[in-house]
Amino acid sequence: MEPQRPDLPVEPDGAPVDPRAVRVTVVGADLGDLPAIVVGPAADAGVPNARPLQDGSPVDASLEMVGRERAVLREDTDRTRHPLLLPTTEPATSSGRPGVDRREVILDGWRFEVEVESAARAALQDRARRGREQAGRSGPTQVHAIIPGVVVSVSIAPGDIVTAGQQLLVVEAMKMQNELRAPRDGTIERVAVGAGATIDVGDLLLVLA
Amino acid sequence: MATSRSDQAPSLHKDDPKRPPFRRVLVANRGEIAVRIIRACHEMGMEAVAVYSDADAAAAHVRLADAAVRLGPAAPSESYLRIDAVVDAALSTGAQAIHPGYGFLAERAAFARAVEEAGLVFVGPSSAAIDDLGDKLHARRTARAVGVEAVPGTLEPAPIDRPDQLAAIIEVAERIGFPLLVKAAAGGGGRGMRRVTRASDLPAALASGSHEAASAFGDGSVYLEREIVPARHIEVQLLGDATGRVIALGERDCSLQRRHQKLVEEAPAPGLSTDERRRLHELAVRVATAAGLRNAATAEFLRAPDGAFYFLEVNTRLQVEHGVTELVSGLDIVREQLSLAAGRPLSSAALAAADRAAEPAGHAIEVRLTAEDPGHDFAPTPGRIGQWVMPSGPGVRVDTGIEAGDRVPPEYDNLIAKVMVHAGDRDAAIDRLRRALDETEISGVQTTLPFHRFVARDASFRAGRLSTEWVGEHWDGPAQRMTAARRAQLAAGLHALAAAERPATASALAVGARAGGAGNAGLIDPSGDGRWHRAALDDAVDRWPR
Repeated sequence: MEPQRPDLPVEPDGAPVDPRAVRVTVVGADLGDLPAIVVGPAADAGVPNARPLQDGSPVDASLEMVGRERAVLREDTDRTRHPLLLPTTEPATSSGRPGVDRREVILDGWRFEVEVESAARAALQDRARRGREQAGRSGPTQVHAIIPGVVVSVSIAPGDIVTAGQQLLVVEAMKMQNELRAPRDGTIERVAVGAGATIDVGDLLLVLA
Repeated sequence: MATSRSDQAPSLHKDDPKRPPFRRVLVANRGEIAVRIIRACHEMGMEAVAVYSDADAAAAHVRLADAAVRLGPAAPSESYLRIDAVVDAALSTGAQAIHPGYGFLAERAAFARAVEEAGLVFVGPSSAAIDDLGDKLHARRTARAVGVEAVPGTLEPAPIDRPDQLAAIIEVAERIGFPLLVKAAAGGGGRGMRRVTRASDLPAALASGSHEAASAFGDGSVYLEREIVPARHIEVQLLGDATGRVIALGERDCSLQRRHQKLVEEAPAPGLSTDERRRLHELAVRVATAAGLRNAATAEFLRAPDGAFYFLEVNTRLQVEHGVTELVSGLDIVREQLSLAAGRPLSSAALAAADRAAEPAGHAIEVRLTAEDPGHDFAPTPGRIGQWVMPSGPGVRVDTGIEAGDRVPPEYDNLIAKVMVHAGDRDAAIDRLRRALDETEISGVQTTLPFHRFVARDASFRAGRLSTEWVGEHWDGPAQRMTAARRAQLAAGLHALAAAERPATASALAVGARAGGAGNAGLIDPSGDGRWHRAALDDAVDRWPR
């Protein structure tokens, strides 16, 4: 384990951040339970096959590149081998934030977009954000489209009080009707689309206060 | 698209099986099935004409065809569903026949009629037979008339536009029993279908099912059918000729479905005895013969837990999953379709395949790779494909119209490839499927690949314990996705860590990489992937609290 360096920025849990460490966040729906991880070099990084640190603890995993865009993740714990794709085609699909690299990872057939940033920098930003949040309060929720398609019907209007799970609108994509439901209880503050509107991924659909 | 427009269409070589049945055939479809049909045309020495929407101007089926005609904008109603435009395209290019593929206009009697009236040949059953068999309500009545038991339910369309008859339809529903299914009379693939568990939900289900059916098929008629669970979905491939002779080429098990859309199909259906196969094939032939089937169709049945077969419907077209029957029967079904369409009798190859239908050669499995997220209830994931590596090798067949860099448009069905395997028996076929899917690489959009890899490794699938409930009972998509997400996160971190290091210090920070050797070659990216990281690092170091 790396010796404590009191002058280094720390993660929320107090773990020190190695200047070379990166923080990795998986972007996307339904992965809210998956916290960001910090991956850094282990203290004995000078030794080949060094065990990297994840969140301060060594992990028994290694990554072997196979050419430029392919790699194999090996997990020693269960002796599994996971080929993955790390496409470089898209010019680092911008995350919209400086210093944050968004990239695609394909592993076991699953496709993820991950954001990678300097863990030290992210820790500093977190500290600043926590300060700001203490001043404010949790704001309204913006609901964005997660699939492209056509809005078939809108069953709510501004001012409506909705409960979590209630159907808000129906989007037709690939000839299937997809119901969008309220992510939580609240009041409809604004409806940004009407029936018949063509929407793309990320378009604002409505605001829930 | 090299084509020589001919001056005169020569007459059909109806009676010479060695000559191509037509000189030029228009393929009224897109995607993998258009490619499949174009290939059959070319193998038979015929020219193929493609049609396309603006979303498909550069698609594989357009490039492979000898000529191509633009139909209109991307929306199906303005392109692939335009009967007049498709018929005009055939007339203007001198095509003699139109193959509709599946979906779009394939089961529209009005389309078959328009083709017939234009003096062209429709590659499929006659418009009259499509009326009889393609309309599920007609088909249910036809089956009843020849003593083939259909799934219990209604035989006439539900009166959705008659509020005064609501009470009557609810009463009928209660006699059938809940849960029941609202189904589109003109339907297929689960579109317009709604599962109803209580009477109070019925009116809304009828309305939304009818709306979806009208949007997908141009016909909003819906009816009620009892839900049989657990059931296996087993279907029989049929061919018929102009003399009225109908044969069965064998059955397929298509039980693995989500939202009533098939995900995995295999031939033969596992666990059936030869006698059961013969009996099932006979039921299918009886219904199709009564309806005057010509060309190709598929009779679908549900097999109840007690082994009873209930007739479900007949699809009067080439099925998506026809390939598994081709693999175990050795017959090219599209080739037979084109030959039958020219008025030729069932070929000797087809008759021989029918004789062997109850004892097929080996086992074939198909998986449908679709642009859907199996970790998110199979929600559609249209987008642009990045890398695209399809499997090959012994016993593997891939039917696709996709290439690296292609867009999967949101306007159409999200099937992007059919991966089929064929081996001596079912166990060997599953082994081959696992191997083939492990070779498959797709980036850019989420596909059903993780689901299929899971199926290929699952013990209950291998044991043949199949039912239409299988996916819901065995597949925990969110959990599988979460496990993979953790690994992807770790891998991305290791990759960034390694890439950020300067080449000179690479060996000092060989993060889990092999020391020395070729394995390290790609570890460090000299092109500067790590630049942002170094910049961020400098930035962070500058602001270190000291």
